[in-house]
Amino acid sequence: MSQAFMIAQDLHKSFNEHKAVDGVSFTIDKGEIFGLLGPNGAGKTTTIRMLSTVLEPDSGDVTIGGYSIRHNADAVRSIIGVCPQELALYEELSAIDNLVFFGRMAGLGSREARDQAMAHLELLGLKERARGRVDKFSGGMKRRVNLAVSLMGHPELLFMDEPTVGIDPQSRNNIYETIEGLQSKGMTILYTTHYMEEADRLCDRVAIVDGGRVIAMDTPRELRSQIGSPEKVTLEDVFLHLTGRSLRD
Amino acid sequence: MIRPLLVALLQVRIYLQDKGDLAFSLLLPIAIFALTYGAFGGQTLFHGTAHVVNEDQGGDYSARLIQRLEEVDNLDVDLLSASKADAKLDRADLLMVLYIPVGFSDRLASGEQVQLVFKQRGNGGDEGQIVASIVGSVVDRMAQEFQVQGQVNEYLSGSGISQEQIDITVQRLLEGERESPAVMVKEETVGDSPDPVNEFLPGIITMFVLFAITLTARALVEERKKGTLERLLTTRLSVGQLFTGKFLVNLSRGFIQTLILLLLSYAVFQMFTPLSFVESLIIAIIFIAAVSALGLIIGSVARTEDQATWIAVFFTMAMVMLGGTFFEIPESGVLSVLSKMSINTYANDAFRTIIVDGGTLADIGLQMGVMAGVAVVGLVLGRAIFKVMPGGR
Repeated sequence: MSQAFMIAQDLHKSFNEHKAVDGVSFTIDKGEIFGLLGPNGAGKTTTIRMLSTVLEPDSGDVTIGGYSIRHNADAVRSIIGVCPQELALYEELSAIDNLVFFGRMAGLGSREARDQAMAHLELLGLKERARGRVDKFSGGMKRRVNLAVSLMGHPELLFMDEPTVGIDPQSRNNIYETIEGLQSKGMTILYTTHYMEEADRLCDRVAIVDGGRVIAMDTPRELRSQIGSPEKVTLEDVFLHLTGRSLRD
Repeated sequence: MIRPLLVALLQVRIYLQDKGDLAFSLLLPIAIFALTYGAFGGQTLFHGTAHVVNEDQGGDYSARLIQRLEEVDNLDVDLLSASKADAKLDRADLLMVLYIPVGFSDRLASGEQVQLVFKQRGNGGDEGQIVASIVGSVVDRMAQEFQVQGQVNEYLSGSGISQEQIDITVQRLLEGERESPAVMVKEETVGDSPDPVNEFLPGIITMFVLFAITLTARALVEERKKGTLERLLTTRLSVGQLFTGKFLVNLSRGFIQTLILLLLSYAVFQMFTPLSFVESLIIAIIFIAAVSALGLIIGSVARTEDQATWIAVFFTMAMVMLGGTFFEIPESGVLSVLSKMSINTYANDAFRTIIVDGGTLADIGLQMGVMAGVAVVGLVLGRAIFKVMPGGR
């Protein structure tokens, strides 16, 4: 029997009258890559912001590694890493300075932060550019620095919110390989993306959310088999089948 | 305690990366000082310019009048053509011009009454009125001398003394009278003259420090815009530590800028003793702390950089106006009550007590207490507002 590392129970979050998240529940097992898929405005980012302790849920709770985000948020923060959808870097500084700073904020000592920073930059193919200013980097390099920052402190659970948006295939492939490598070392990952083939390749299980609710949750293969032959049907077919073809804001 | 310091150090490093920003922030106090010096550092006695149109070209008496005006202390003479002077008056570049009319010397020599003309816009301005008064007294004296010369000529006509000898003798006597008049005016100075630097510098320092409120307010908003604020909120950095870091960096920057301003004032105006200089620095630190805390409140409320800037500008202007920076606040009435709500009032009072009145820190306990209180309450309130605003925790 697998061990649930993260348990989200009946999460609700409204902004004024708008219900952004409306009763989301799911679990993520230790070492699992869990995909959170959904059209724009489905509630993915709000869910991640609650899971990562930035937003407080209106109701419901989340436990990560046994710690409640409501009652022990600081302990939760000590075991999570967040790779946000938008680049969140000090672009005036070098890549290594960004990593070291966020490492120190994650509780690392000076030496340890520097060692980890170099290791993560090497992992993401940025060792040679460690001292380069981030604002001089290409979009793909910035995305990789963004990911490298989230690895500082070796989090047990990593939230990745659309980490491959707008980058070249080489950088995207590097990020895939990094994620797979992290999983092989036991890291648990919550992954959101709009690229269905990406979710199909990386995720052990996915949840499809729409209108703030989870409307389907299973392995990609099982989801595909629900609407046809899993060899012929793509995850994108499943996604469109479940969420409809109407355009979203 | 290490995390707030790291946050502050990071901000300093970013600050140092932008050479333009760095140069601007260091040059700003120097520029403020230069403006202060330009406004108050020169001589405080009147010095004006008489703008003159001499249409009596080649005339002896008009030349003498201009020469006499040039001999007046604290008065420069600016000779203009009539067309240029008219154009400048039209544009209000000049407010008062003296016109010496055509034939001025000839008509004077022939015994006719002559007229000088002052053309002015409105009341001619303060300087124009003083210059007109000086010109009037010079003309009066010349007229009297002319009359003396005429009467002596008339009295001695037919006496056999040559006209040239009469003229030389009369001129020598009149010059003697000018150099050593029968009635002299002696000026006695009682006490020190009010020093505008002493009067205004405290207000200028507090106003300058208050400008930093915009930078503090923007610091949080910029962090939010970059996305780094939210990322920081998922680390082990507490909001209190984040606020402390931002507070420390703004305190340091404000202190360095104010130190430059005070050092320049010390060196050029000699307005401090070593003790009052140190006391002024202590006031400055506490005032900067209060201002930084207020900036963090604005940064917590504002959602965009523009919002932060405009709230800060409005707040700054209100505090400056109510703080008695540019005009003295009456001791009673609505303005007096309102001024008590301005942090600048307390800072200005404290600086004036030390710089102008020669007081000590013991004399400004209330002002220091209020400023320190604003710093503490500002930090606590800013933290509380940050928590309840969207995106805070």
